[in-house]
Amino acid sequence: MTDEDIKRWQKTLEVGPNASVLDIKNSYLRLRRLYGGGSIVLESLEDEFPEKNRMKILVDLEEAYTRLLELRRNRAALGRAAGTAPDAGNVDGSGDGEAAPGTPFSIEEIIYSGPALRRIRERLGIELTEISKQLKLRAELLKAMEEEKFEVLPEEIYLKTHLKNIAACLDLKPGKVVDDYLGRFREWKRTK
Amino acid sequence: MPQTTRTDKEGEIWAIGGGKGGTGKTFFASSTGTQLAKKGRRVVLVDMDIGGANLHSFFGINRPQKSLTSFFETSAKLIDLAVNTDLPNMSLITGDIHSIASDNIKFVQKLRLFRQIMKLNVQNVIIDLGAGSHANTLDTFLIADKMIVVLVPEVIAVENMYHFIKNTLFRKVKLTLKDYGFKEIVQHIWDRRQSYGIKNLKDLIDYLKASFSYIGTILDGELANFKIHLVVNMVRSNQDILLGASIKSVLAKFLGVPILYSGYVEYNDVVWKSVRERKPFMLNYTATGCAKQIETIVDNIMHGREVNVPGGYG
Repeated sequence: MTDEDIKRWQKTLEVGPNASVLDIKNSYLRLRRLYGGGSIVLESLEDEFPEKNRMKILVDLEEAYTRLLELRRNRAALGRAAGTAPDAGNVDGSGDGEAAPGTPFSIEEIIYSGPALRRIRERLGIELTEISKQLKLRAELLKAMEEEKFEVLPEEIYLKTHLKNIAACLDLKPGKVVDDYLGRFREWKRTK
Repeated sequence: MPQTTRTDKEGEIWAIGGGKGGTGKTFFASSTGTQLAKKGRRVVLVDMDIGGANLHSFFGINRPQKSLTSFFETSAKLIDLAVNTDLPNMSLITGDIHSIASDNIKFVQKLRLFRQIMKLNVQNVIIDLGAGSHANTLDTFLIADKMIVVLVPEVIAVENMYHFIKNTLFRKVKLTLKDYGFKEIVQHIWDRRQSYGIKNLKDLIDYLKASFSYIGTILDGELANFKIHLVVNMVRSNQDILLGASIKSVLAKFLGVPILYSGYVEYNDVVWKSVRERKPFMLNYTATGCAKQIETIVDNIMHGREVNVPGGYG
């Protein structure tokens, strides 16, 4: 991919060069909803712009989103390989789903423990502070969730909401994240 | 459009338009002027809603003694028509409330008006335009340094706004090329657009640029500063707020027009109440969400910034 490609994808997704992964994702979702049809903005222009223009935009959006995320993942992986990413070389020992830098995820096999969620986040190149800002949750709480410091975490009902929101940020299935994580939380409660 | 050169570039002309009536253009113009004056700037508001002028009502002025009628019917100077408002550094040129309809204004009168607007010795001239996309309205919009469109989240308002922006751009292209001696070329090609395979205004501009490289250079230069500041008024939901971001996207992709989404104003009965009371909103309801939002919008327009929206622009 060339710099021109990257600029084109950024233009398609209407993001700047410094956009975070969450920015990219949010913009993609917003534009997909818009060009997916049914918006009053597009209804007003229907006569002038044929359906195929809209479809082309949808295709371009998919490409731009996939490629920009891929780029971020590769960069994050390179960062880790070079030891510049936060917590590099300090990977938790639970071992589930850890792949070599740059290789695609195999999300289905992962048990969404706290450390697993952290690794996924890092692989996506998302900082804790970004999620904190987006979800309006304290970064310390998110960190405690990732580190599974269950004793400082809130009641299960709140935790469930937080997990669903975190799953949405990381593009994961919310049901599985909630089940896996709360399973571990309950197990800790039972044995403490 | 008369391409009169500004002598005083310190001052800025802001024009508020948008196509549809009832979107809150006049409310926004009065509030913007008041807000700028509150910030200490010298402001003149000009009511150019010819045939439907009522900006004076927003300042509790019943029957203005002086109005643009005198400008058009006598040789009165524009500055002499300004009346005082509640703020010492803001005055108001009330609109023509008598006979003249917008399309009756002669070209020479229009030139004279524009020249005098540009000479007003203030920091901000705020022009409130009427509804519709009449050539006089578009020309007035085009003399502005900041072109502002006010919209409400309704299909018809979006349609009218789109029509208004498209016509403004078309007129800008035509007038620009006219100034360079290509008077008829735009209209000529547009009238035969089918045979040129041109479907819309963007196709036309692309065609002109591709076919005549010198025109391409001219248009690139002249259109570089063509951008619209968008305000969405009377929003009731997050979805309404996102409308501004959607319009920004669609107009950039389909028309190649850059939109700066300056901000939104929430729907609130207090605005209606204020209009009924005929008191300047920004002096009497300063603690409301609407007033705060207008403050943000004015700052954003001044500095060419945009509002943050949920799901942002990145």
